[in-house]
Amino acid sequence: MGSTSKKRTFLIMLIPILVLFFCFNTLPLIRGLIYSFTNFRGFGGYDWVGLRNYVDLLGDARVGNSYLFTFKLALAATLLVNVASLVMALALDSKIKFKSALRGLYFIPNILGALVVGYIFNYFFTYIVPFLTNTTSILADARHAWIAIVIVCAWQSIAMNTIIYISGLQTVPEDVYEAGSLDGATGWNKFRYITFPLIMPFFTINMVLCMKNFMMVFDQIMALTQGGPAQSTESISFLIYNNGMAGGQFGFQSANAVVFFILIVTISVLQMRFLSSREEQL
Amino acid sequence: MRNDTITRRGFLGLTAAAGASSLLSGCGGTASDGKRHVEVVTYKQEAVKIFERLQDEFNATHDDIVVSITCPNNATTVMRTRFIREDYPDIIGIGGDISFSNFIDAGILADVSDFEGLGHVKPAYLDILETLEFVPTEGTFGVPYMANAAGVLYNRQMFRGHGWDIPTTWQEFIDLCETIRAAGILPLYFGFKDTWTTLAPWNALAIELAPSDICQQVNAGRTTFTEHYRETAEKIQALLAYGEDGPFAYGYNDACTAFARGESAMYTIGSYAVPQILSVNPEMDIDSFVMPGNDSSDGQVLNSGVDLQFCVMEACPDKEAAYEVLSFLLEHDNMQTYVDDQNAVPCTTDDFDLPDMLDGMRDYIEEGRMADFQDHHYPSEMDVAGQIQTFLIEGDVDAFLAKFDADWTRYNRDIIQKVQDYYATQA
Repeated sequence: MGSTSKKRTFLIMLIPILVLFFCFNTLPLIRGLIYSFTNFRGFGGYDWVGLRNYVDLLGDARVGNSYLFTFKLALAATLLVNVASLVMALALDSKIKFKSALRGLYFIPNILGALVVGYIFNYFFTYIVPFLTNTTSILADARHAWIAIVIVCAWQSIAMNTIIYISGLQTVPEDVYEAGSLDGATGWNKFRYITFPLIMPFFTINMVLCMKNFMMVFDQIMALTQGGPAQSTESISFLIYNNGMAGGQFGFQSANAVVFFILIVTISVLQMRFLSSREEQL
Repeated sequence: MRNDTITRRGFLGLTAAAGASSLLSGCGGTASDGKRHVEVVTYKQEAVKIFERLQDEFNATHDDIVVSITCPNNATTVMRTRFIREDYPDIIGIGGDISFSNFIDAGILADVSDFEGLGHVKPAYLDILETLEFVPTEGTFGVPYMANAAGVLYNRQMFRGHGWDIPTTWQEFIDLCETIRAAGILPLYFGFKDTWTTLAPWNALAIELAPSDICQQVNAGRTTFTEHYRETAEKIQALLAYGEDGPFAYGYNDACTAFARGESAMYTIGSYAVPQILSVNPEMDIDSFVMPGNDSSDGQVLNSGVDLQFCVMEACPDKEAAYEVLSFLLEHDNMQTYVDDQNAVPCTTDDFDLPDMLDGMRDYIEEGRMADFQDHHYPSEMDVAGQIQTFLIEGDVDAFLAKFDADWTRYNRDIIQKVQDYYATQA
């Protein structure tokens, strides 16, 4: 009796979520898949074109460049963010003055909107940096503009990752450190052999989240470069949105989105497998 | 999970559109209050105040018809989202560009050739609309309302102060740039960080250096862009030397501000930039001239296209009411209000007071010596603006032209097929 009413409660909680998830996630995904086999423009009639969109994807230099750019950005930003936020977390977890205030302060970038941050950095890169260093704007340089985007992405996501690492550091019991210090583990060795293995699960989650977020980078591109200069900073998401919604390539970009979806799932699963196999349990 | 985000955006658009349409008490036909409702959606967000005023005036003077005019942000996307759901407004106000071509091709616009107001419209603009059809299609699908003009804006006070003359040939234009530079002033400002701004000088040069129907000719397989766009490409490249340092670092807003502050003598952009420039420097005396692309003394034409036209949707149930609204919008005084506020060029044959900053283009407008923006034929997903920016950064004319032709066939495959099928059946 008790268990059936419990079951019913669970079902009442679960079913609405499931329906919403199906309506707003699964259904559009299926429709997107269907559109990927058409030459749909977003309105009016369309024809079935079979696998033409997928074949075109392989030979499209612009799509290829957007994948290269996105991977380059995601790798660089993920590395930068994880190294920087681990260092930040270690610093903010040590015995320093104003610890709580500093933690709050360093979290601020995370609560600002990505577009706002983007526009501010846009001004910073266009006017302030060139004025201080007497160089030209990095955003106007087709070869280096991606670095500016890495910096902006990293600046903003370091905050969240730092918080996750701090909470990870707090799960490491003090007695492990004490035992370690008796064996002479200090400084780098203490981090390398005690702290890092014990916060490995947090490293896994941060790596996966970072990679996934940066693969889907969109707002920063919108605010900083709009894909330029010379189409050098077009991310996959940007291209899908721009050409699929604003341009007339709804069908083709749906195919692109399907490929991209599969790719992100694959990368995330591989990453999880690889990293979680290295996690240590106390 | 990119798909997820896209649909979320689409969903937001849908809810926005649904919200808007429910607010507007449904679209078309007779509603419960016994009145005929006409819904107009225009893409001219900057003219929202004028349209609100016109809407109120219409509703105050008409007992049986209620009109609602909205100018949503990002209107073309909002319209497209509504079209996906087959939720059509009665009238849409759009530009004469590739979207219009696509809408005709999709068969969602009504033939308005029986609308008598068309008799007042300058034939040149009706011709422009004709050329926007992918294949010749029986009927007229839009009522041209306002045109814009692009060329070169100049600081009239500065020109008078130095005694500089308006150039009428390419050579004179280059000489003028040299003279201005010798006077220690920057001749031009570009703002090419925003890629679309590259299209302003590009269009103005292309109409004088390439055939006006080049896109149709290419679609029909009769010529290539490589053959006709070389000179345009070389000339826009030559202009770079007279602009600001590192033009790819500054965007449209930066360029408007710099020109308004007198940092450059000229600015290669359309008349639509004037309100923004004046917002920085309300006292500025701006005029414009036609970009002289070639060296023939009488060969210049004004770059002017349909900036705003009204199209009745095929799904509109009450065309009579829609025409009544169109006639009202086309009344002389209402158009003059729009012209004064937006620095636009009216598309009808009535007499209007044109804004000062079009002084240098007045003769061309009155004589109808103009040609449409060539980018109105470029598919937006091909991103020609981005390609021009790439070319100006890298400086390789041959690579640019080759890519232009290759991309054109790639992005227009379905249209080219349609055009060639059409000519095959004609022959």
